[in-house]
Amino acid sequence: MAVKLSGGIIYDPVHRVDGEQQDLYIVDGKLQKKLSNDQKIESTYNLDDCIVMAGAIDLHTHIGGGKVNIARTMMLEDEVANPHISTDVCRAGNGHIVPSTFTTGYRYAEMGYTACFEPAVLPVNARHAHMEMADTPMVDKGGYVLLGNDDFLLSLINEGACQSAVNDYVAWLLDASQCIGIKVVNAGGIHAFKYNKRRLNVDEVGPAGVRPRQILTTLSKAVHELGVTHPLHVHASNLGVPGNFESTLDTMSAAEGLPIHLTHIQFHSYGTEGDHNFSSAACEIAESINQRQNVSADVGQIMFGQTITTSGDTMMQYFGHAHAHPKKWTVMDIECEAGCGVIPFKYRDKSFVNALQWAIGLEIFLQVNDPWRIFLTTDHPNGAPFTSYPHLIKLLMDRSFRNDVLSMLQIDAQKMSNLSAMDREYTLYEIAIMTRSAPAKILGLNQHGHLGDGAHANITVYRKQEDIEQMFAKPALVFKNGELIVKDGEVVKTVRGVTHVVKPEFDRSIEKPLKKYFDEFQTISFSNFKISNDEMLECIGSDIEVHPCKIN
Amino acid sequence: MLFENVTCLNCGLLCDDLTVQVDDLSLRLPSSMHKFCEQAYKDASIESDSIPSPMIDGIPASLEDAVNKAADILRSSSLPLVSGLIADVQACRNAIELTEKIGGIIDHVNGTAIRSGNAVMQRTGEVKSTLAEVRNRADCVIIFSSETLKKFPRLLDRVLLPKKTLGNKGSQNKKIFVLDLAKDGMTQVSSEDNNITQMNLNFPLLESLVYRFQEVVTKPQDNFLDVDEDTQHLFDLINTISKSQYTTLIWSISNFNPESAEQTVQALTEAIKLLMKDVRCVGLPLSGSKGEITANQVATWQTGVPLPVAFTTGVPVHNPVLFDGSKMLRNQEADSLVWLATYSSDDQPPATSVPTIVIGHPKMQCESASVYIPTGVPGIDFEGLAYRTDSVATLPLRKLRSSKLASASEVLKNITQKI
Repeated sequence: MAVKLSGGIIYDPVHRVDGEQQDLYIVDGKLQKKLSNDQKIESTYNLDDCIVMAGAIDLHTHIGGGKVNIARTMMLEDEVANPHISTDVCRAGNGHIVPSTFTTGYRYAEMGYTACFEPAVLPVNARHAHMEMADTPMVDKGGYVLLGNDDFLLSLINEGACQSAVNDYVAWLLDASQCIGIKVVNAGGIHAFKYNKRRLNVDEVGPAGVRPRQILTTLSKAVHELGVTHPLHVHASNLGVPGNFESTLDTMSAAEGLPIHLTHIQFHSYGTEGDHNFSSAACEIAESINQRQNVSADVGQIMFGQTITTSGDTMMQYFGHAHAHPKKWTVMDIECEAGCGVIPFKYRDKSFVNALQWAIGLEIFLQVNDPWRIFLTTDHPNGAPFTSYPHLIKLLMDRSFRNDVLSMLQIDAQKMSNLSAMDREYTLYEIAIMTRSAPAKILGLNQHGHLGDGAHANITVYRKQEDIEQMFAKPALVFKNGELIVKDGEVVKTVRGVTHVVKPEFDRSIEKPLKKYFDEFQTISFSNFKISNDEMLECIGSDIEVHPCKIN
Repeated sequence: MLFENVTCLNCGLLCDDLTVQVDDLSLRLPSSMHKFCEQAYKDASIESDSIPSPMIDGIPASLEDAVNKAADILRSSSLPLVSGLIADVQACRNAIELTEKIGGIIDHVNGTAIRSGNAVMQRTGEVKSTLAEVRNRADCVIIFSSETLKKFPRLLDRVLLPKKTLGNKGSQNKKIFVLDLAKDGMTQVSSEDNNITQMNLNFPLLESLVYRFQEVVTKPQDNFLDVDEDTQHLFDLINTISKSQYTTLIWSISNFNPESAEQTVQALTEAIKLLMKDVRCVGLPLSGSKGEITANQVATWQTGVPLPVAFTTGVPVHNPVLFDGSKMLRNQEADSLVWLATYSSDDQPPATSVPTIVIGHPKMQCESASVYIPTGVPGIDFEGLAYRTDSVATLPLRKLRSSKLASASEVLKNITQKI
């Protein structure tokens, strides 16, 4: 039996459908363009005056892991101020900035999102991250496991190990941690901070005898050679430091032409011009992305108001702790792998720096030409909570609204930004690319992010409205695998998503030196470190969906 | 049958290198190295023909009847308390779901130990480390009270006296200082084989020692009117810290007076943060031996707030004073109790006059409970997950025998479904 979605205005960039009125059919949780003669229609949704897109995908949002629980504890005031009562279908919860897991799933679904990816899974904390995500209903999930500050990799590089050994280690870790991608945070910097080094540039030798550039080059090559679809996901060096755009350009070049994704690039696009020695380098960064086809980025837009920053980058979080608001901060060194820093922060529209950060994010969005390579994120919750996406979409689609907001910001920041001169307004087609088709493509989720035959029936239906923000905030209908889960912006049915993973082939002989490393240095045994597929389902609580790797 | 790399729930370190010999339903540890951990396995050993039966008012009953009776009690209760919470992740998930459904209050029996850490995290944030990081990186370790080493018996073996490290020579031969109160004496841990210095200091309380430590971190020596011998020792320690590469302060909240534990932990945290301006210094608070970290983590992600949590209004509300489980029972504010304790037969429910549903260890002997449902032990009778003391590592608990004992998770789920 089929469900017919009749007469909606379809935006499906994968199939180059740009606002055409078409029918869609849902059969057994999948999409069909046409029905065969023996397929009967069970029910029909009349979608006249409705916009239809695939379910949205957030490729960078901190929704699971120890740092999120630390953030919840530190932002107790936010939890208490935002209670969510249980309903017939929803569990109770709390929080706006860092909501509880059930609430996170409901809020994402209510905005038409059907998949979210946690970008900082520490290997030793992978079980925790997956458990939180398993308790995040409604959406599919996945994680990028952290490398680039772990002693095992650093010693491999320092000892001049061959690339294939690194590849085997990377593949082993993807399998052991049940992740879909590899993330590097401040390559070598977190490790260096453990040796009391407070800054590390891309071409500086760290305490492990390795330059960040070597780490980035080696790992981007490993990811590429293993055929992992998602490029190396990189949080560059010197986050938040004026003048850091040069490190960001160095980071891009460290990939040596191989695919690389720079995350929350807004925080890495700062110059040192002007009276405040702080300026926008959005133009240089956008130009570089435009020129280098191997580079993609998500923005990490900031919004004004209270939030909390959670990051693996202990070095730069410690650097920024003096700006904490309220005045509290947490830093942790973690298990010879990585670290975490959690600092509450309030972005103020009357602050020169914050106002310019807001403008820089938008300048990047508007100056990167290819919407397939720039992604809509706020680095939740670091730039702002994910619930601000509809507002961000309006800023991108409505120039006069954008300029109205700009005109209310700190005056020096307005002068230092060329945002008001930018005419570009994103189209619905481009929004569909950057929030659906492009994330699915860059993550290798072939049956997501589009509305073609055989795709998972993850569909968001918006009622056409003048106010774009309202439209994106409250979809009329959301379907997950063909089931109606949200109606008029409210959850009507709870479902569980799967965890997307990759499992590239590797030479098992890497387990011998790894076991030795665990036996000699670690406090967890090698055999207990790995998360099996059965454990994912039976103890952690999530099914996995394995995506293929294409050997390059 | 011999199982290797078994995770031990005997203390919060969750060492996962045990070898366990299982014969039918009896368990023992062949290695004398693990003698500290034996108790949990002896405790869990049962005869296959003496699997305990569920009980209603002390009389054996079927599991179904016991579950129904538990549901009846909770259905008619105005303010149920779910406590104990000595359990693995899955059972904690199910306990929270049950509490939400019955509009009750949920707290851990070691609630006070969680609260001081949570409060300091909430008020100031913390600087912490994990076991492997300390093992490999620390060259200077200061332990507040040798009691800490008694409560976490393999800390020296597993973390502080490594044969080999990833760091420099200092980390392989750590300078370890154990600070005790002269009036209490100390447990001898130093020997010719290790680099441990035990210091008996003249302070009235461990808290006074901590506050003086914070003071010497905060104020230059010149600002002290008079520096006594014990304070001088602390100044010497600060001097050692300033020359070290990675200092770790270790404490166990259970050694502090619960009434002032929050302030004591805050004093240590503030000292660490001040030292961090120039050198690397971290804290390694030790707890979790009764699964309190596991329960608190699950509660925090599922509800957004730490334990204790009340669901009385339909939303999860955290208030450590109002919803202190032990106090609520003492003051007879709760009118029924669900006691979840799966690790040890020693974790008996508190004496109370309210109807009590005990879900827990098969050797608990709970004839006085309204309902007693014996369950298997996580990591022995069924698989599960539990958090280690550093709140970062989650260890797998494996199934070592087939005992036919129900899992606490299933029992809680069944009760929830009946309500």
